[in-house]
Amino acid sequence: MRLPRFFAKKRGDRRTGAEVWGSIGDGLFHAMLLLAGIAFAALLITGVAVPEWRTHHHFLEARGTVVGKGLARRAVPGQMISTWQPCIRLRYSTAVGLQEAWALLDSPVSDRLMAVAALESTTLGSEVACWHDPADPRVVILERGYNWWMWAMTLLLPGSLLAFGGAGVARTIATWGKSEERQAAAGFLDSNRGEEPTTAARPGVPPCDDLVNSPGTILAFQLPVESGESWTLLGFGLFALLWNAVLIVLAVNAGLDLLGGQIDWLLMGILVPFLVVGIAGIVIFIRSLILATAVGTTQVEISAHPLLPGGQYEVLLGQGGSGSFTSLEMVVELEEQATFRQGTDTRTERVVVWRAPLGSWQGLQLAPGTRFEGRAVFHVPAIAMHSFASEHNAVTWRVVIRGRPTRWPAFTRAFPVLIYPLPPPSGERLLNGGMP
Amino acid sequence: MTAIEPLRGFPSVTVQFCAPDRRYEPLQPINIRYQIDLPAGSTVRAIERSILWYTEGKGEEDLGIHIFERITEPTALTAATAAGGFTALLPRSPLSYEGLIVKIRWCVRVRLFFAGGRDFVSEHVFDLGRVPAALSRPIASSP
Repeated sequence: MRLPRFFAKKRGDRRTGAEVWGSIGDGLFHAMLLLAGIAFAALLITGVAVPEWRTHHHFLEARGTVVGKGLARRAVPGQMISTWQPCIRLRYSTAVGLQEAWALLDSPVSDRLMAVAALESTTLGSEVACWHDPADPRVVILERGYNWWMWAMTLLLPGSLLAFGGAGVARTIATWGKSEERQAAAGFLDSNRGEEPTTAARPGVPPCDDLVNSPGTILAFQLPVESGESWTLLGFGLFALLWNAVLIVLAVNAGLDLLGGQIDWLLMGILVPFLVVGIAGIVIFIRSLILATAVGTTQVEISAHPLLPGGQYEVLLGQGGSGSFTSLEMVVELEEQATFRQGTDTRTERVVVWRAPLGSWQGLQLAPGTRFEGRAVFHVPAIAMHSFASEHNAVTWRVVIRGRPTRWPAFTRAFPVLIYPLPPPSGERLLNGGMP
Repeated sequence: MTAIEPLRGFPSVTVQFCAPDRRYEPLQPINIRYQIDLPAGSTVRAIERSILWYTEGKGEEDLGIHIFERITEPTALTAATAAGGFTALLPRSPLSYEGLIVKIRWCVRVRLFFAGGRDFVSEHVFDLGRVPAALSRPIASSP
């Protein structure tokens, strides 16, 4: 008897294995998460939801007379720690006659004196509203209500388990025993069998819509900037904002302590490094903001879009701002991007595999209110790879501007362009495909 | 023609392309013929024939199906398991690409599902387009 293989094996052009068996582990893992979620949800329903629902719908209202006061002591097993919970003894009428029982007055606290103080507001012989369980008249409560905060917190764990486990089980069932080709083809390819692909379809080529919706001032289209500068600036700003918000909360607490004549040295010790990081965050954000705005905006326009291999396209560089530039350089690059998992991280590696200079300008002096304009022609190689994008991989073309301002650090700004695959010579499909 | 040396207990799949150099242009028809030699005593419950592209390299593998056909009907299955062929019009993209960290490959796959739950895939690569390979070393790593 041959045992099943859990993973496929590749030998040259052959692959062998049993993908059905390979997906068992994945299915079991998610099924366990789903079961854990169901178990947690069941505990919540029986332990929190049902009791709270019963107090609202089954418990009977009554007027109770306070006949006693006391503290319920709960000791933690194996430790010298106790909690104290204020309670009052109530006498109230039920369907089976007068009843006396203890009702919890407040939350348990570790300080006995605080628990005693909580009892002082209740006087013996006074009347209070209470609710008792008709199924067990000795069970009496002083408050009804839903604890929404606790509900939100307790639903988070089973909700996450149910969603993650359920989605995994559903995915396992949907792909059970199916090859990767069948999964990829699911839904649309069976209906396309025998039909010729349309000449307009370009599988794997990203859409061009976002690159042609902005007309240029001189040439046909203005290209959107791809630079990560804006995101970095936003990240620095958010970090400075959130960090200093926490710092303010801590500082207010420390200030209140000082006003009250107390000094919390632990809080003060935490505040000092927090203050240093907070100030550094603000300084870095302001510096990045100045660098991003001081140099001036860079605009790139192109005479046509998308581009085709073998074509020639005019490119216009517009650099705003004021001050002098040591150099301004415009190049076109072909970049490969690969996204992969490394442990629990998802990483993207980028490599420039081809670069061609378009134009270079030295010793520029920019005046406020005007912009420098430089023109160049991009000759797309006739054998150029077209733009490509799939879920984890991409081949992208972009116009890159590298500037060296005299007073500021150098900057790099990228503007993506799209290259379509070249259409066949006649514009129609080739017809030389018969068997020899 | 692609022939695979038979291993003991494994099928042997021979695939014949209409272009001897296995190089095709976009929107060109591709005609595939194949022949399967099954090991004695094996029972095939399904066969899948597909033309697809997939990525290789540093990133996770992506896959795009161009043509897919699954045969389970007994009469058709018996015929298709011995030998068969299929024709398709190739798409305009993506073109075969030999990059540094991203590679795009086109292939024909014949996948056999056996009665015991195991499967066997025979894969035969061909080229779509004439894009030259990228340089052997990167020009630069992007920031």
